[in-house]
Amino acid sequence: MADLPRGAKKHAKIDDTWVLVCNVNDRLLAVSGVCSHQAKPLWNGRVRGGKITCPVHGARFDLETGEALDLPATKPIATYAVRVADDWVEVCVES
Amino acid sequence: MANQAAERAGQLPPGEARYPDEPSTQDIISRDKVAAPGWVRSESYQFLGDEDISTDRYKDPDFAQREYDHLWTRTWQFACREENIPEVGDYYVYDIGRHSFIVTRVEDDKIQAYYNACLHRGTMLRAPGSEGYATEFKCPFHGWSWNIDGTNKNVLCDWDFPHVDRDKFTLPQVRVERLAGFVFINMDQDAPPLAEYLGPEFMAHLDAWKLENRYVHCHVSKVIPANWKLTMEAFMEAYHVIETHPQVAPSNADANSQYDIYGEHVNRFISSLGVVSPHLKGQVTEQDVVDQFTVGDASILGDADRTLAEGETARQRMADMMRVMFEQATNSDLSGVSDSELLDCFSYTVFPNTFLFAGISLPMVYRFRPVPDDHRKTIYEVLFLRPVPLDGECPETAECVHLDESQSFTEAEGMDPGFGEILDQDTENLFLQQRGIEASAKQGLTLGNYQEIRVRHFEQAVDRYVGGGA
Repeated sequence: MADLPRGAKKHAKIDDTWVLVCNVNDRLLAVSGVCSHQAKPLWNGRVRGGKITCPVHGARFDLETGEALDLPATKPIATYAVRVADDWVEVCVES
Repeated sequence: MANQAAERAGQLPPGEARYPDEPSTQDIISRDKVAAPGWVRSESYQFLGDEDISTDRYKDPDFAQREYDHLWTRTWQFACREENIPEVGDYYVYDIGRHSFIVTRVEDDKIQAYYNACLHRGTMLRAPGSEGYATEFKCPFHGWSWNIDGTNKNVLCDWDFPHVDRDKFTLPQVRVERLAGFVFINMDQDAPPLAEYLGPEFMAHLDAWKLENRYVHCHVSKVIPANWKLTMEAFMEAYHVIETHPQVAPSNADANSQYDIYGEHVNRFISSLGVVSPHLKGQVTEQDVVDQFTVGDASILGDADRTLAEGETARQRMADMMRVMFEQATNSDLSGVSDSELLDCFSYTVFPNTFLFAGISLPMVYRFRPVPDDHRKTIYEVLFLRPVPLDGECPETAECVHLDESQSFTEAEGMDPGFGEILDQDTENLFLQQRGIEASAKQGLTLGNYQEIRVRHFEQAVDRYVGGGA
């Protein structure tokens, strides 16, 4: 949890899946770390109002639902269950 | 009363008549406990003629095209607030008709705006209406990219483009000026500076409001089924209050509101609240006035006791109440603010498409843009600005809530229900007005000399641009 204070984000590769976890107003939200548009990394984006913008082409996603909010993305990104166990943030990447 | 008014009007030069036997806005304000500043206590009305306003401007697609060619390309327009793009790399896409601009912060204290199109084969670099943060502006088609400062970053397979001088392939810019927390753009490189465009009187007013110390607390947009100018004009006078907003009239001095014009691009009204409409004189008590009082965000007033003491006026009670409740709700200091600024509606048109409101009770900004390719529809936006809290921690800027054409303003998150109802009443008229103008045997709008001077002043500015005279 020390890596994820309010407003912070952290990316990690779990098996073959890039995951991005964001602390939005003290809520942890986990999504795919890869943009659904052209597979660019999302973790260099900036989070505002519970949404993240891909810094390359401008696709924007709702961190809670994964919904694509702006072109050029039309497809959502995956969202994952997240929990805290003994100050460790755990993400479940299995569907 | 009507005969008396006509008689008086006949004795006076055109535009000089006022609602008979009623206090003026200045009379009302002069009785307040905490006195108003000079920008409130001044008048600047001017008679501008009484001929009809031709209606082709609202219904002719060619007129709309001339506006795109001569008006939108030459005027200063509010593109975004500074807090929309607080950090370097943040951007906001401002669209007007077929035009689109990426407004971005390139340094802590420097904002630039680029034509939103790739210099290779023209693809938009960012989606219209979008906002966010960029490390570069990269075209999603072939990957040509530009740095945040607009210089070219990459031309894919540059061996195939020996004819491209990358130093000359910087993103073309439009002019940007920042004022009171607003970012303005202008496509015309020869336009006067923004301060000159707005004029010294309005600049002095704006300087007093300190809107740079506010943030966007609520932002709502809705498509309105009427021409953008008709839609704007629905908000330029208080003459319509008694018919359109009967619930407001008991606490709004509608027919004795004040109208002023400033240069070519700014006009205003001051409409006093906490005072009964002259139309309802003798029909409501002071207690009724205070009970009916509506502000832009009524939640601020909470469940405050509105019972008036013997001899207490509704207006003074509302001012005192607003001062205390608003300070508490927003953690702000209103000790230097006059009663009039706390209560009254100060509505300014900043040509061509923005309304700024100066007061505390109705702290809005409106923006109006034609829907591209449909001169009968308007994108109408309402923003509520709140003071930045005294602790200096600015809350996150509200994201725009987009309403469908059929939705009520009351459905928007953050919108006060009472205020949303007022906006619904305003916009419900507009469909009928647009269609009525198209159906009418009469080819012009007839305007009141005083109460509708803002409409005439605004349309005269439109004519100067569209006619090529500005």
